[in-house]
Amino acid sequence: MRNKLISLQEAVAAYTWDGMTYCNGAALPVGSDSIVFGVEMARQGRKDLNVICHCGSQQVNLLGAVGAIRRVEVGFSGLEVYGFAAGLNRAVTSGKTQIEDYSNGAMAMRLFGGAMNWPFVPATVNTFNDQQYCSCDEPDQYPCSKKIPLITDPFTGKQYGAFRTIRPEVAAIHVTMADIHGNAIMLGTEWNRFEMSRASEKVVLVADRIVDTDCMRQYPNLVRIIGEVVDAVVYWPFASYPQASCGLYDSDEEQMFYMNKMMKTEADTETFCQTWVHGWHTREEYQALIGREKIDKITDTATAFLLDPYRKWIKTDAEVEELEKDARG
Amino acid sequence: MEYTKQEFMAVATGREIRDGELIILGVGLSMLAGYFAKLNHAPALRPFTEGGIYGATPVGGLPWGIECNRISANATSFTNAIDALGFLVASGRADNGVIGAAQVDKFGNVNTTGIWDAPPWKEGRYIPPRVRLNGSGGANDIAVGCKRYLIMASHESRRFMERVDYVSSPGYLDGGAAREKAGFVGGGPSAIISTLGILRPDPETKEFILDAYFPFTDVEEVRENTGWDLKISPEVRKVPEPTEQELANLRTVDATGSLRKKR
Repeated sequence: MRNKLISLQEAVAAYTWDGMTYCNGAALPVGSDSIVFGVEMARQGRKDLNVICHCGSQQVNLLGAVGAIRRVEVGFSGLEVYGFAAGLNRAVTSGKTQIEDYSNGAMAMRLFGGAMNWPFVPATVNTFNDQQYCSCDEPDQYPCSKKIPLITDPFTGKQYGAFRTIRPEVAAIHVTMADIHGNAIMLGTEWNRFEMSRASEKVVLVADRIVDTDCMRQYPNLVRIIGEVVDAVVYWPFASYPQASCGLYDSDEEQMFYMNKMMKTEADTETFCQTWVHGWHTREEYQALIGREKIDKITDTATAFLLDPYRKWIKTDAEVEELEKDARG
Repeated sequence: MEYTKQEFMAVATGREIRDGELIILGVGLSMLAGYFAKLNHAPALRPFTEGGIYGATPVGGLPWGIECNRISANATSFTNAIDALGFLVASGRADNGVIGAAQVDKFGNVNTTGIWDAPPWKEGRYIPPRVRLNGSGGANDIAVGCKRYLIMASHESRRFMERVDYVSSPGYLDGGAAREKAGFVGGGPSAIISTLGILRPDPETKEFILDAYFPFTDVEEVRENTGWDLKISPEVRKVPEPTEQELANLRTVDATGSLRKKR
């Protein structure tokens, strides 16, 4: 299998475009997400996005705040204990972004159906309530009959709903570690990243660590995302920052609150973006911006021991740079 | 003994949780109530999160989210949403769950999606809300699938409404046999635990009535803070004060004191 390493900037340029259906690979709004990929999308000025996510996270909060999202399908749009997502909510209440609500379980099942290439999956949840009755695509029809239409079980005659399945054009999925071929291991709960990797037409991995393929050969049962379905691999330490990455770093509490506060207004969002979107280009500059003190604090995580079995296969920055050169040919 | 209303609500919710239950816990208060129960009186409780974290107890205080590293440092298994919300919850296997509510109505329907000046059911169309909340997350799956579940909410008349703006997670829908007719696999909410007391559904009408009130309030105050004509159980009682041991156990789980900072 080929070496799929690619720079962050190249990955966003090659795999995203205005008007696309984009899926962010996340483990809820405090955990793993390909946040740095969304930041780069904002920097490259992507717009008119149709976003699919079970949870918005700070990535969708930012993309909403900068006006890049036309429509979003979501299970949970907030930031958990960190509060409501101020940027996305501003876009929704102003009418700039249309939001289509499902539950978190529904989003996973719809991705599963997409991975199977099924036209629909039976819905035993999200029915007979406003998740079924309200649709941003059919705002004048209440109760809506098209979003989760009722179908009859051919075996029992009972009525259930039908979920439209999801086939995103591109998914950017955060993983703890990947090899250069796109085999990946996720520490912590994977949420629906497994189904997402199979449902999406193109998959870009955003990995906190690059490991030797021997690591995958040692733990093949844990390789839930396989190189066979992956198109590109981006190496980016602190890719989920300011959220957490299990085994590597905790969420940055101060930055989580600060970022969300800045998303509240267009002016503050612009100020935030000057530093945190446009103020860096390389991995080194990004880490310098976060700062040594913060990095020491968030990497002092109670989950660090989870990384121990894999440490001997982790490539150094210099080794990854060589591999990136090889990939460019 | 000093405690906050939020702490009392967490203790009262924890008391509703039975030893041995397979229970799904949401973020914040829900998680604190569940892990308080496990430490206090339900050592065989089997809690899990909707992302599929099993066998864990929080370290370092209230987790910032249900996949926070604070709940990931001693897990026995990490799986995924299809497993947790699908195989264990939507299937009807989970015994219990705990969800929060921004608004709840007299039939236990919960809104966590948005606040409207003209709600969709009244307007006959779906327009953007005046205030966007979070959406249902996994709460809809829990409300439909768990054998029973508990609702936690701050007791204010703007939150305890005759009819919520948007049903994100269904309770007993229009009451009576409405939920049964919908064919949901789970049994519905067994209690609403608020900052003032405990409401339980009437077995026939499914309307929530006041079963018990907290020691620092009375029936009148609970009624005043309820947006519907709240019925009172003939056996209404005062909820016993938290014991010193209960408070100590709660504060062990809530190591960062998040509940002590609130009203």
